Amino acid sequence: MSPILVIVEMQRGGIRAASREAFTVAEAIAQAEGKSWGTLTLGQRDTGRIDTSQGVQETDTALSALNPAVCASAVAKAAVGAEYLLMTHTALGADLVGRVAQHLNVPLASDCVDFEIRGTDIVFTRSLYGGKVLCDIRVNATPVLATFRPRAVAPPAEGQMLGLQELLDIPEAETGMQVESVPAAVRERLDVTEAAIVVSGGRGMQGPKNWRILEELANALGPRATLACSRPVSDDGWRPRSEHVGQTGRAIAPDLYVAVGISGAIQHVAGIARSKFILAINKDPNAPIFKVADYGIVGNLFEVVPSLTKAIRALKNRNE
Amino acid sequence: MSPRNPCAVNCVQRPFASDIREMNIAVCIKQVADTEAKLDLDSTGKQVLEDGLAWIINPHDESAIEAALQLSNAHKGNVTLIALGPPRVENAIRQGLAMGADRATHLVTDTMPHDPHVVARALVPLLASANFDLVLTGQVAIDGAGQQVPQRLAVELGWPCVTAVEHLVVDGLSVTARRPVDQGEEVYRLSLPAVIGINRRLGEPRYPSFRGIMQAKKKPVEARQVSLSDSSITVERLHLPVTKSSGQIVPFSPETSAHIAELLRQEAKVI
Repeated sequence: MSPILVIVEMQRGGIRAASREAFTVAEAIAQAEGKSWGTLTLGQRDTGRIDTSQGVQETDTALSALNPAVCASAVAKAAVGAEYLLMTHTALGADLVGRVAQHLNVPLASDCVDFEIRGTDIVFTRSLYGGKVLCDIRVNATPVLATFRPRAVAPPAEGQMLGLQELLDIPEAETGMQVESVPAAVRERLDVTEAAIVVSGGRGMQGPKNWRILEELANALGPRATLACSRPVSDDGWRPRSEHVGQTGRAIAPDLYVAVGISGAIQHVAGIARSKFILAINKDPNAPIFKVADYGIVGNLFEVVPSLTKAIRALKNRNE
Repeated sequence: MSPRNPCAVNCVQRPFASDIREMNIAVCIKQVADTEAKLDLDSTGKQVLEDGLAWIINPHDESAIEAALQLSNAHKGNVTLIALGPPRVENAIRQGLAMGADRATHLVTDTMPHDPHVVARALVPLLASANFDLVLTGQVAIDGAGQQVPQRLAVELGWPCVTAVEHLVVDGLSVTARRPVDQGEEVYRLSLPAVIGINRRLGEPRYPSFRGIMQAKKKPVEARQVSLSDSSITVERLHLPVTKSSGQIVPFSPETSAHIAELLRQEAKVI
């Protein structure tokens, strides 16, 4: 087995896109240290197959169908002798690697937003206080365990050949817990942490029935766009809590964040500060959100948003 | 003491098998800097300046306390708060007691440890020696955001564990826990004792009542000195994110939209 291992999460019969981001970290460490890296796919042996187009061994078993306690002890056994164990910090990744770390009795650099190789050492950057402070750390243990926030690292190009592949057979075992049911539905939109474009609404939207204009803006922006909201919006039940971004919700780092009717409280700004570009739409020219925005439109959002949607559609049509 | 939003609370109560004895619930809480706080670094550059900060119970932990109180109420149980950290942490403990918890243990340290591995090591001896049926924690602390403590505790204790739980049912000697994952929801059934990481989305916690605040002053808080093990993580430095200067802010007119759309294509390259 390779000294540098990446745990891969399967989704809908393929590798989950976010999982591939950790390959970039593995490749960088492998090059710096002159070592090989490989993937560790969790599944059941009889469903495993090799898909050379993606360069990794696949299984039809989604990680969510597997008991995390059993997976963790299997991964911990497989990781003995490894120097690095990496994974993307998805909901399942966060749960799994925390368990593995305790089995191995080592620390875990979790939810890292960046990394830098300095000689033979790696410095991991973590985001504290919902993004208000960043922290550079070194891990002095073997193996080094780290998880990376979705979208923190760019994935390698599709089709690029990737190290050795290993399918880890997850046996049945008594752990005091059983998986009763797993997700059946396929979500219409991307998860907020994984979307390249996030269109987000605040109290200024005045009520859930007005979300149609944000949906249309997201649709115009394309399939990589999804919806989010500020805390008061989810607190009032206008939108699901899974869409809440900010210090007590979820931290995101999209290519574009569109804040509509969001004033920009410090907790909210902390959670979106790693966005590459921020577009704010607000009627109050003094709203704090404009202080962090790359682009801002001051005006009535019920006029601005449909107009912007139209302009984006027109621009796309012109060029297609 | 009424919940802020009763409909949003997701603890369903069914009988706890041992109606013979009380259900013992522990909630591990962390005191964190208020979410309103603007943070600065101290002169070493390795710590956040604590002077003048307001402190709160970690919001996810507050929801864990709420869940514990509801379960305790339904099963004639009791709720013990466990908090690790320097003396300032006692304020958080009193707040939790004012919400309705019965008692607390304060594991007193000189500093707040930054490494969840160290935190778990310090908590395990207490949890292993007491007779708890259920240990609840928040899903994540909003300061360090390690998201590791419940899993680490469970591995050490040899108990089943589910994290990020938004819905919890205790029925007999088992727990059914639901949590959202990226494509939907997972449902687990766990035997007790178990460790559950609670997400804030489980429900808004109640506010302490005046009576609760008065009673909290008399509730038992056991303070135990603990020495922390060494962390295998070295903090190199803390730094504040580079704040952007604001960009092009323009008043709305029909031409503005076309201009911004152009920028999204040419500059941000997202369309």
